Formats: sequence, C-alpha cells, structure tokens
Amino acid sequence: MNEADRRQAFADAFAAQGRSDWRVYQYLASLQAPSFPSCHALHYLQMATEKIAKAYRIRDTAADVDDLARHHTGFEEFVNAFFRSPKIRGEYAGKDAALRTLQTNAAALARQIEKLAPAKDRLASPENAEYPWERDERVCRPCEYGYPNLSLLKAHSGRATMNMIARAFSDYETLRIA
Amino acid sequence: MSEMPTKDQVAQELIDAHFDVEPHLVEIWRIVGDNEASPTEPIKLIEVNVATVATGSVTPFAFAPTQEVPFPTVVAEVTPDEFDAVRRDPKRLPNGWRLSNARQFKRSA
Repeated sequence: MNEADRRQAFADAFAAQGRSDWRVYQYLASLQAPSFPSCHALHYLQMATEKIAKAYRIRDTAADVDDLARHHTGFEEFVNAFFRSPKIRGEYAGKDAALRTLQTNAAALARQIEKLAPAKDRLASPENAEYPWERDERVCRPCEYGYPNLSLLKAHSGRATMNMIARAFSDYETLRIA
Repeated sequence: MSEMPTKDQVAQELIDAHFDVEPHLVEIWRIVGDNEASPTEPIKLIEVNVATVATGSVTPFAFAPTQEVPFPTVVAEVTPDEFDAVRRDPKRLPNGWRLSNARQFKRSA
C-alpha cells in the first residue's frame, strides 16, 4: 500500500469507527430505563469526536498519519477547521456574526469534550469520563460525577454543536476542511 | 412539599427559557405523541433556528430527566430551510413524530 492509500484507509477507518461510537453515544444518551451514569455516554461522545476529527485531519491535511493516530487531542482544531471550510462558509454567506458565534461556542464545548479523555491535561484538569482521579485530597469516580462543564450540551450552543458533529459524520465523504 | 409540575408546565417553561436565551430562535414546535400522558414519553421539540448548523435532516438529541426538567426531553434543532423541507415531506421527521398534532410556539412580543 502506498502512503496516499494508507492515509485514505486510516481516515476512512477512523470515520467508520467514529460513526459507530457516535451511534452508541446517541443510544446511551437517550436511554431512560435502564439508565446509566452520564460518564458512559460522554465517554462515547469523546471517542466519537476524537475519531471524526482524526478522520478529516488525516485525509485533508499533510500532518503525519501516525502522529495523528496516536494522540488523543484534535477535536477543537477540527471544529475551527470545519467552520472555516469553504462549504460551511458558503452556507453562512452574509451571516458572519452567526458563524462566529457558532464557531466560538462549538470550540469552547470541544475543549470540554476533549478533556473527557483521561490522557488530556491530567494535572490541571483530571476530571475525565473513564478513570478515577484525585482532586483536593479526594479520589473521585466518573460514575458519580456530574460534569458541570458539559451542562452546555443541553443549551442551544450544545445542540448546534451536536448538529455540527452529526453533519461532520454525514458529510464526511463530501466535505473537506482543507 | 411542592407538587411535581405537569409535563405541559415543564414543556412551557423549557420553551420560554429557550426563547429567552436564544435570539435566533424563530419558532418551536412541540410534538404531541399518542402516548403523551405517560411520564416516560419525552417532551419532543423541534426548534427552528437561523443560527444552527444544517444537518440535512431532523436530528433529535435526547436528554434524561434532571431536577430542573423532570421529564425526558428530545430536541431537534433545524434551520428554517430544513423545516420548510419537513413541511413539504413529513417523512423527514423522526419515527412517530407528526406535525399534524404538534403545537406551534412563537416568541411573545
């Protein structure tokens, strides 16, 4: 397999796996009975967003495939690139202020979603969706934590960001970020 | 001890709160299902917003009950163009959702 084929194959595989994580997130988030602590749905949201970000960045940029595949971060950068893409900018022609607000809000939420990965910012922000952490001499459990920084998911900015994520998955084959 | 609010009251408060904080929200449609009397049937809202990301479909997001909103909720946010498309082709709605028995809410003056 040559490098271009390998890049495309990794990108498509990340998109497919991310779509699967996204469907599990939507399923877990909609469950009423039995319901589970929110960390589980949020864990799938973090994994889904990380993978779709990697899929686009591997396919549409010249960044090293192995570096992108290895690292946990990248969703915030992807959100900014998504809103800068010609297709999305074209849809918001004449609505610059609305586009800026959407991008700012989505990037802020993306930062919080990224922090759900245990390897991200472990010292400054140990709260994550998967493993226990220590804060103020207390050991905390994801399954008992309320994730106040993600309450925005239920606000308009959260719904718009969710639409953006849904769009990123549904338009992966036709939308380019660079 | 205060009484548990009804689903209609909670839905109205949710709708008012969304209009309060979202200046680009044009209208909200509350979908009333056949099983609406059941407390487990979610409050279902379609919010038409000029400042959201178009997905090309009606993408509902579900939220579990909380202390403030003690009923499950499902909210789909669409652009005005997407909502026009739904009116022309109701098959675009999620399963079980019908506009024929939906209630429309507009921003009060």
